[in-house]
Amino acid sequence: MFNEMYQSESLIRNHYNNINEWLEKMSAKVINEKNAEAETHFRNIGITFSTNSETARERIIPFDLIPRIFTFSEWSKLEKGVIQRAKALNAFLADIYNQGEIIKANIIPKELIFKKKSYEVSMFGFKPPRSIYSPIIGIDLVRTNHNEYFVLEDNCRTPSGVSYMLENREIMMRMFPDLFHTNRVTPIDDYPTRLLQTLMSLAPIKCNTSEPVCVLLTPGPLNSAYYEHSFLSDQMGIEMVESTDLFVEGEFLYMKTVDGPKKVDVVYRRIDDDFLDPLCFNPNSVIGIPGIMDVYRTGGVNICSAPGAGIADDKAIYIYVPEMIKFYLGEQPILQNVQTWSCDKDDDLNYVLDNLSDLVVKEVDGSGGYGMLIGPKSSKSLIEEFRRKLSINPRGYIAQPLLDLSFSPTLIKNQVEGRRVDLRPFCLMGEHAQLSSGGLTRVAMNEGSFVVNSSQGGGVKDTWVLAE
Amino acid sequence: MLSRTAEYLYWISRYMERAETNARLLDVGYRMSLFPNPNGYNNEWESVLAAAGAIQGYKNKYNIIEQKKVEDYLFFDEDNPSSVYNCILNARSNALVVRTSFTPESWLAINKTYQEIQKLKNNNFNASDLPNLTEWTIEQVNLFRGSLSSLLRNDGYNFLYLGLFVERADNSARLLDVKYFVLLPKPQYIGGNIDNMQWSILLRSLSSFRAFRWAYDGDVTSTKIADFLVLNSDCPRSLSFCIQNIVKHLKNLTCSPEKVNKIYNNLKDLNIKIQEEKIESIVDFGLHEFVTQFINKISSVDSDIQREFFN
Repeated sequence: MFNEMYQSESLIRNHYNNINEWLEKMSAKVINEKNAEAETHFRNIGITFSTNSETARERIIPFDLIPRIFTFSEWSKLEKGVIQRAKALNAFLADIYNQGEIIKANIIPKELIFKKKSYEVSMFGFKPPRSIYSPIIGIDLVRTNHNEYFVLEDNCRTPSGVSYMLENREIMMRMFPDLFHTNRVTPIDDYPTRLLQTLMSLAPIKCNTSEPVCVLLTPGPLNSAYYEHSFLSDQMGIEMVESTDLFVEGEFLYMKTVDGPKKVDVVYRRIDDDFLDPLCFNPNSVIGIPGIMDVYRTGGVNICSAPGAGIADDKAIYIYVPEMIKFYLGEQPILQNVQTWSCDKDDDLNYVLDNLSDLVVKEVDGSGGYGMLIGPKSSKSLIEEFRRKLSINPRGYIAQPLLDLSFSPTLIKNQVEGRRVDLRPFCLMGEHAQLSSGGLTRVAMNEGSFVVNSSQGGGVKDTWVLAE
Repeated sequence: MLSRTAEYLYWISRYMERAETNARLLDVGYRMSLFPNPNGYNNEWESVLAAAGAIQGYKNKYNIIEQKKVEDYLFFDEDNPSSVYNCILNARSNALVVRTSFTPESWLAINKTYQEIQKLKNNNFNASDLPNLTEWTIEQVNLFRGSLSSLLRNDGYNFLYLGLFVERADNSARLLDVKYFVLLPKPQYIGGNIDNMQWSILLRSLSSFRAFRWAYDGDVTSTKIADFLVLNSDCPRSLSFCIQNIVKHLKNLTCSPEKVNKIYNNLKDLNIKIQEEKIESIVDFGLHEFVTQFINKISSVDSDIQREFFN
């Protein structure tokens, strides 16, 4: 097991020395006060989320005071690896919606792509500005050793969590200014500016101004990431719109303002493909902007991410990302994939069924840490339940070994204890490819747990990248 | 500015204003309940409900009118769309949508109010807590209004104030109308205890009790009170003050001058009339008729604004 702070039982890693001293000086009273202050702050600014459950009570994600720290050189490696991956995923999307070279080269079987619901037929033959389909990619990583990272999954549609990354830093700076005097922490507060620049650099061909009008399209206040939508649009100074605020007339998309219609050039959408355009996707959808896809395909507006970008983060496609990197970029992958058995192959399925108690089984279309089996941690009856599910619907599942996620020191009832963490940095792809100087660290607050999802007791931490 | 944003801003201040009106009404009812209870005004809670426009909803839920129930219905009840709780809830969910269009201070003022009323609602309150609740509400609304001073003086600001004054105009006029029936048969001179009580209810519920004394010398007459609440443009809750401010914020809008003109034309006659008219001729014409016309006009201005700007 790898501990982010301790090299051995008695030896602190250099870059955690300051934090260790700070922790030793902090009394239980101060910890309690600061925890309460953070909670009040998060409630006041309204950074809450609602889970899928019927009780619509707003919850806040537990925030751990101890930051997770990366050295400059550790981060440089991650940065290269994530950008490499983001480039390959965009190249893949451009390819499968156009020439399909990777299929012709027999690297990825065509059924795997064309039969997927997330493959968007209406995108065939169309290239968005700069050939960028997915301008904001969140890559979920775990660390298992000093120099060993694995990518758990890619998020190419509308990755969320960046508001937590930014707000966690804000509250840390507010509560512990001294920490930022003694540590050289790379700032992250320019992320919204970079995001806006990215969106503006992706203006559609018919846009003839140097300052394209961008909007953020939200499904509305009931969405669990709604805070993030309003936070980002506020930080970028762009309108946050719902689909009823937008309409198509002629070759362009407009928003309804008190001055009358105003043309929109770039839509940063935080809604699913299905709800974009009832004329093109889901005819039963009452939300959506009729005709927006026609405007999009004729260069009147850009939609970020592109419809159909979701195919790139499909769990079945994930297996091929290292191949994509070699195929499109001619490079060796910097970040590793987790070994994955796809249960629709007979050999893989048999292996998985024989080793269920050692493996993690996930639904191909699942998310949020729901509907998965963590073999080594599960009861016999649950394992048997998954055995039945796998036999009935092998296509619906993949399996992976259980990774030994790194531990990060975490305050549990005022004591420092090790808890497992993951990391989601955010990669922007526009005129430039760039990585946020930090990311969202999620922590499994329960002892021994591997599940970091906020819906299942996960918390968050501030994530530091030390300057060179 | 997005039409929807304008609409939400408009409604945020309507809800906050309404929360305050309800709190004031409850305060008046509470005060009345402390006085001896001879014939005539023992049904004060009913007129509180009537003034709040909540009497039908209340009667659908309860058979008898009693203090604890009225308090609960007007303050916390989620079934009452205009309860203080719902007003704050609605203001807050609107604010969530448009927080990008006003300052962090305004958001905090509303969101903290929301956090606190959630806690208050979960505590079992008893009747003697009411003054604290109403005082708290008025304080919170003042905090919100104060936070608006840091806003850019753009259209968003004007829509917030349009909402505030449309709501206030409507609330003031309805209060006048409710009390009008009680007072109509009485002679001009107000002397009896009951009369004093009734007028003081009206003035207190419009937060103008002391202001009236400062504004007028001599005897309290119904004409003076009517003048104060209808025509006196020094009084921040008078019909005249509300109308003038609606006109002011309407004309300050920089968007769509044609739309502004269209709405103004609908309002112009009333605005001129209310500034030139004498209270005596309004009373001769019929205060009730005048107030009814006023309410209808405000409601048509409200629909003008919604139609022209929000659709």
